[in-house]
Formats: sequence, structure tokens, C-alpha cells
Amino acid sequence: MAHTPTATVQAADPLTASAAGRVSASIRDRADPRLVLADRVEQLYSQMWLGILMTFAIGAIATFELWENRLEELVLFWWGLVLFITASSAGLVYAYRRAPDRATNPEQWLRWLGIAALANGANWGFAGAVFFPSHADEQQVFLAFLLAGMMSAGIPVYAASWPIFAIYAAGIVAPFTYVLATFGNRLFTELALLVPMFYAINVAIAYRLSDVFHSGYRLRHAYGRLTDDYSVLNQQLERQLVELDEARRQVEASGRKLALFAERAPIAVLELDDKARVTQANPAAELLFGYASAELVGGPVKRIVRPEYHAEFDRQWDAMIASREPVAAIKVRNPRKDGQDLVCEWAVTPLVNPDGSIVSVIAQGQDVTRQLEAERMKKEFTSTLSHELRTPLTSIIGSLQLINSGVLGEIDKDVAELTTVAERNGQRLLDLINDILDIEKIESGKLTMTPEVFAMEELVREAMLLNKAFGERFKVRFQAHGDLDGRPVFADRKRLLQVMTNLLSNAAKFSPEDSAVDVQMSTDGWAIRVAVQDRGPGIPDAFRNRIFGRFAQADSTASRQKGGTGLGLAICKRLVEMMQGHIGFEDREGGGTSFWFELPAAANREKVTRN
Amino acid sequence: MPATPLTRICYVEDDEDIQRIVRMTLERVGKMTVEIVGDPTLAIEAMTTFKPDLVMLDWMMPKMDGPALFRQMKLRPETSSLPVVFITAKASQHDLDELLRLGAAGAISKPFSPKDLPDQLRAIWAKLP
Repeated sequence: MAHTPTATVQAADPLTASAAGRVSASIRDRADPRLVLADRVEQLYSQMWLGILMTFAIGAIATFELWENRLEELVLFWWGLVLFITASSAGLVYAYRRAPDRATNPEQWLRWLGIAALANGANWGFAGAVFFPSHADEQQVFLAFLLAGMMSAGIPVYAASWPIFAIYAAGIVAPFTYVLATFGNRLFTELALLVPMFYAINVAIAYRLSDVFHSGYRLRHAYGRLTDDYSVLNQQLERQLVELDEARRQVEASGRKLALFAERAPIAVLELDDKARVTQANPAAELLFGYASAELVGGPVKRIVRPEYHAEFDRQWDAMIASREPVAAIKVRNPRKDGQDLVCEWAVTPLVNPDGSIVSVIAQGQDVTRQLEAERMKKEFTSTLSHELRTPLTSIIGSLQLINSGVLGEIDKDVAELTTVAERNGQRLLDLINDILDIEKIESGKLTMTPEVFAMEELVREAMLLNKAFGERFKVRFQAHGDLDGRPVFADRKRLLQVMTNLLSNAAKFSPEDSAVDVQMSTDGWAIRVAVQDRGPGIPDAFRNRIFGRFAQADSTASRQKGGTGLGLAICKRLVEMMQGHIGFEDREGGGTSFWFELPAAANREKVTRN
Repeated sequence: MPATPLTRICYVEDDEDIQRIVRMTLERVGKMTVEIVGDPTLAIEAMTTFKPDLVMLDWMMPKMDGPALFRQMKLRPETSSLPVVFITAKASQHDLDELLRLGAAGAISKPFSPKDLPDQLRAIWAKLP
């Protein structure tokens, strides 16, 4: 237990050391081992010249020294071997220098080098073994010194690969050790024991050196690789910089475009911060509100909102800021600098960053004062049309009706004919006014339906009865066919009666005299279908597309002869569609036209509503 | 249905032509006694002396429109219980509903058919309590 703190401290240090080690190891590991080996082989070959020269020089000196006291042929033979080995080694180095595969095939060149080194070492070993004198002699010292020198000189030459050195040195040491051990002299026996130890120490040194080389080469390659990586990275960075620059230019261009849009826009554009202060105003805004841009910028936008609406403004602004949702089509009463009031329609859009923060708020305002005034005038005009035109018509039609009804007494036949024409045209004018008002109401969305549930069949028969007199004027009778099983519809009764009246009167007008207009009632699933069928001339091809359009009449002379405004079918279509129905027409077999409409049956409608 | 037949009608209308047509219609076709008032501000006084069975009010009149007169009638005991029928050219369903809610007996839209007018009035009369 007492050791624990120490252990902790000790544990910490190797941890740090190994962390650093891991880093350099991880850098070294990036080196390609083959490239490292090729470098080492290159190093070995570059040292070879030194080895060759040294071998040649020392071999020459040894030959000269040994020449005196040794068998001349043997010395000559040995010198021959030296020459052969140095020449072969030189040839090897030369071949290596010229070889195209030295970087890609380092193993092969290392093997050749190993053979050369072994041959060289063994030659020296041979010299030690053969020429070692059998009696005490200064040449013993010479040879021992020579061999020791040759062995240690091999270290720098072969340091880049310790196994090569080991082979080389073993070639020198092994025969010499054998000679020493078998000499029979105590001193030499001891030397024979020491020599392998020196050998081992030298190999160990070579190993360490080799390791240093190895590590050095690996680092060199790793850094080379890193440098390559860095240059790739640099290229990428440069490319990205170019792209960024391009992107920046594009952003600038679209910024300028946007600025131009705001600058030249005919509507007021204000940029606001999230506190509703103006940060920018375009010329249209200056023109509209009568303030210079500099007057608006920096101030609250509420300056151009009437004070009585400030509370409402704050409420809506806060809601928009909270939701980050744009607000459109809000009408605001904006006072100009000169005090005159404008009504503007605003679209207010918060510009939101991906992180949800608000960059700014863009408010686009359009002056709708005149538009609203025009709408008001149109409404007034419609109301006037409705009252001022109908009042005199009431008198005209009323008077003529009274005369034509005969309650005021018999009138002359010619006069009666003319008063009938006058009454009919008065009625036609009234119909036209009513139709125009209806269309106007439908298209401005002011026509409201008051739907109720009632039996469709009853309504159809009522419409036929109401229009009976009209039919008789054209010598046409209405005939009902089929039945609706008493099924009810959910619709506006008065408006549906208007639809039926239109279809029946159209059919009557275009039917030949003494013919019948057939009113066909049928059910199809949830739909109730009523078709009004005549035997008239049919619908001309050119007219088919626009038959439900406004002021649509196939032949303008027909309207003069038969009355009608050309708005009837347009109104019918809109009314039927407002009651969730369809309207259409088709040619009738045997001549004539069938106008039909379909409405959902009431039960169906209730079901739909429930859903 | 009231016990007595509809015979006395008071009509408040500013347009003289329509006054004439309605008078002629109601007298000749409907065989009724008609009092026409052209100035709505004098209408209540006229009703008090004439004592009509039913009052017809034009909707749009200068000085005072029909609904305003109707509200005034409701404030005066002599006229508050008189059944009122509006004659209107701007018969929006919403307006009519509003009048019926205020106690109007009915509404006839302009332009009305003069020869049918007596029957329309009698139909409304018949529905009164």
C-alpha cells in the first residue's frame, strides 16, 4: 500500500513518454518500408568505394609485408583474390549505379552486397588463418592488428545494414578464431575466447548504428510524405480559396442585385431590425411617406403608423418575431410626413439565420389607398344601380302591368300591343340589372348562400309552375319525367329556383312552337340530377366553349327577339358550383339540347359535413 | 289571422310615381282604402289620424329611411302595434332578417308587380296573429 503513490508517479511518466513515442512512431509508420530499404541499400553502395579502396590499399600493404616470409605463390594467390574481390565489388557498384531497378528492387542488390561483403570478409579471414605464423613473431601482431582493424573499419562501411556487417565480420573472425583456439598457447586460447566477444560487441554497435540509420531514413521518408501531403493540402486550400472567392463574388453580385431590386422597386421596401427600427429605406418608401431615407433610418418604424394603432402594431410585431413567420396582406394606416393618411398593404418577412437568429426584417408596402377608394366607389355605384335604376323601373313596369292587366278598363288593341312590348322590355331591362348585380355579387364574393334542406322535386315542380306563363308565350309546355324518391338537397332554395327559371326560360325561348320541354329528374348514387331538355336548334360548335361565360349569346339577334341578357348561364354555373354541384350540357338524341345540373343529396352532404 | 279583412293601408313613399301606381293598384285591384304619406317625418301623425290596418314603408327615403321610421313607430304607443311591411330594392337577406327580427310583418321587394301587390299584402295579413 505504501508503494501506491510512487507507483502512480511512475505510471504517469512512461505514459507521457509513450505518448510522445506514439506520436513519433506514428509519423515514422507513415514511411514506405521499401523506400526506406532502398535508401539504406543506396547508403551501403555509396560507402562501397571506401571499402574497395581500403581493401585494395591494405591488401597491397599486407602482400608487401607477407611477401618476405611466406610462400610466394600463396601470397600471390591471396593478392589475386584481393584484386578479384575489389574488382568484382567495383563492378557490382558500377552495375548498381547503372541499374534502373535499384529503387524498386533493393532486396536483390542487398543480397549481392551481402555476397560481396562475405567474400571480402572471408578473404581477410583466409589471410588470418593461412598466414598466421606458427611461432612468436612480430607478424602475429601485424596480422592481429590488421584483422581487428579490418573488422572495425567494416562498421562505418556496412553500418546501414547490420546483418551485412555481421556476415562480413564473421568471415574475418571465424577462421582466425579457429586458428587462435587451436594454436595450443594459453594466451591465444584466451584471445580465441575474447575475439567472438569483440565480434559480438562490434555487431551490437553495428546493430545500433543500423537502427539509427533505419530510423533516420524512415523519418526522412515520413517527412517527405508529410511534405507531399502538405502540398496536396496546400493545393486543396488554394482551390478552396479560389472557390470561396468566386462564391464571395456571387454573393456580392446577388447582394447588388437585391439592392437594385429594392432601389428600383415601385413599392416601399424597409429593412428593419428586430426592435422595429428602420435600418434602410428605398426611394419608393421616401417618395411614398415623404421622409428622406436619413430621417427614417435609425428611428422606429412606428413613426409611419398612426398612434392609435401602436398597441396593435406591437402585438402583431411581437407575434411575428416570436414565430419567425412572415405576415402578408396586412393593411396599415400610415401617416405621411405631411400628415396625410395612406392605407398601405404590407408584407413583412423576417430574415432568419439557420440558427434561428433574426438578421433583419424586410417590410414591403404598397399604397392601396386609391384601390380601397375605388372599391368603395364601386360598392356605392352598385348600390346606386340597384336602387336608382330599379325605382323608375318599378314605376314603368308597374304602370304598364296595370294597363295590360285590364283592371283599368278595356284598351285599344294597337295600344295594348305597344304597352305589352314596353312592359316586356322593361322587364328585360330589369332582368339585365338583376343579372349584372348578381354576377357582380358572385364575383366579388359577396353573394351569400342561405342553404336549407328541402325536397328537390317540389322545387322543380314549383319552378315549372312559375314559368308556365313564360312558356306559354313561346307556345311551349313543360313536362316532368322521372322522380327523385323524395330525396332532399341542402341548398339555397331561392337561388336554385333562379337556376331552374333560367334553364326553363332558355329552353322555352329556343324551342320550336308547340313542342315540349322535358324536365328529367334522376338520382345517381348520392347525386341528384335535373336535366332541362329542348328540341331547339342545338348549340353551335363555335359557341360551346364559352356558353357559360358572361354575355354569352350564340346569336345577338336572338337576344333581341327573345330577350335574355347573356348572363343567365354564367350565373347558373356559379350558383350551382357554390352549392357544391356541377352544371353542363349535351346534345340530345333526335335534336335539341339538354342542360343539366347535379347536386349532392342532403344525406350525403350531412355525411360530408360530419366527416 | 286577424278577424277583420285588410282594408286600410298607409303607405310611406317619397316617389310620387310609385305613390300613384300603388294607390291605383290597391284601390282598383285590392278595393282598399289608401293613405299615402310622402314625407316620412309626418308619417306617424298621419297614421295616428288615419288608423290603418297595415303600414307599408319604403326602405330608402330622404330625411328618414324606412327602418328609422319603423324604430320610431315602435317607440310610440299609437303606432307600436301596427303591422309593417317593407318595400325595398336592396333586399339583402341579412337586412330582411334584421327587420323581421325587429318585428316587421314582411317585406316585398322592388320592383313589385302591382297587380299582385294586394294579394301579397293579404297573404302577409293572413299570417298575422
